[in-house]
Amino acid sequence: MFGAFRATNSLSGGLLWKIPWRLSPTQKYRQRQRLKAVDDVVETLSTALAKKGETLKSLERWKDEMPTEAEMLAKDKYTIFDRKEKRYRKGIHKLPKWTRVSQRLNPPGY
Amino acid sequence: MSYFRITLHRSAIGLPQRTRAVLAALGLHKRSQTVYHPVEAQFAGMIMKVKELVKVQEVDKKLTKWEVQAERRPDSGFYLEKMAPRMEDEGQKMGGRVLARLRGEPEESKVVEGLTRENGGEVRI
Repeated sequence: MFGAFRATNSLSGGLLWKIPWRLSPTQKYRQRQRLKAVDDVVETLSTALAKKGETLKSLERWKDEMPTEAEMLAKDKYTIFDRKEKRYRKGIHKLPKWTRVSQRLNPPGY
Repeated sequence: MSYFRITLHRSAIGLPQRTRAVLAALGLHKRSQTVYHPVEAQFAGMIMKVKELVKVQEVDKKLTKWEVQAERRPDSGFYLEKMAPRMEDEGQKMGGRVLARLRGEPEESKVVEGLTRENGGEVRI
């Protein structure tokens, strides 16, 4: 039952990676910090360009469509829509490269 | 003239070729590297493509690579103190006193006494 040769799932079955179904509080904290960092970059760009009187289509579009970290619902910060999942939601940490991609919007109603 | 000070904070390993190409076009090749680009829409557009990976500030002045490095260098934790300048004759006096103490009899006699006690009366020097 105990010791080096105990029969666990990973020892008897070879490769087994377990991803917890939900984020830990620390992961959620760091996710919020990352969202805020992206908001900061967008804010810096828009103020700098506004001083020069220039506009940028991609920047305007981001500001129109994307909610900031403070405006986002907890549901959208930490989970993502998935049509195959029960109740249509799974943890955002199942998204590949989830710490380095922006994923803020989900289908309305889900 | 103002600049974007762009620092690569997160690595682009495993991200699409286009994202990595944008970083290369900005001149960012490794993490914590800092580059400066003028505030223009074209550079803002490039930063928008990699906004999850970089830290951006708007600054007035470009710093050189060495100035950026000097900013990051931590405090050495020590400083060198220089000897205070002394008057010529006073220095000689001090030196003379120290020499006298070194040559002086009392310290040598102590050593001799120790030797005599250890060797039971015989003195070998």
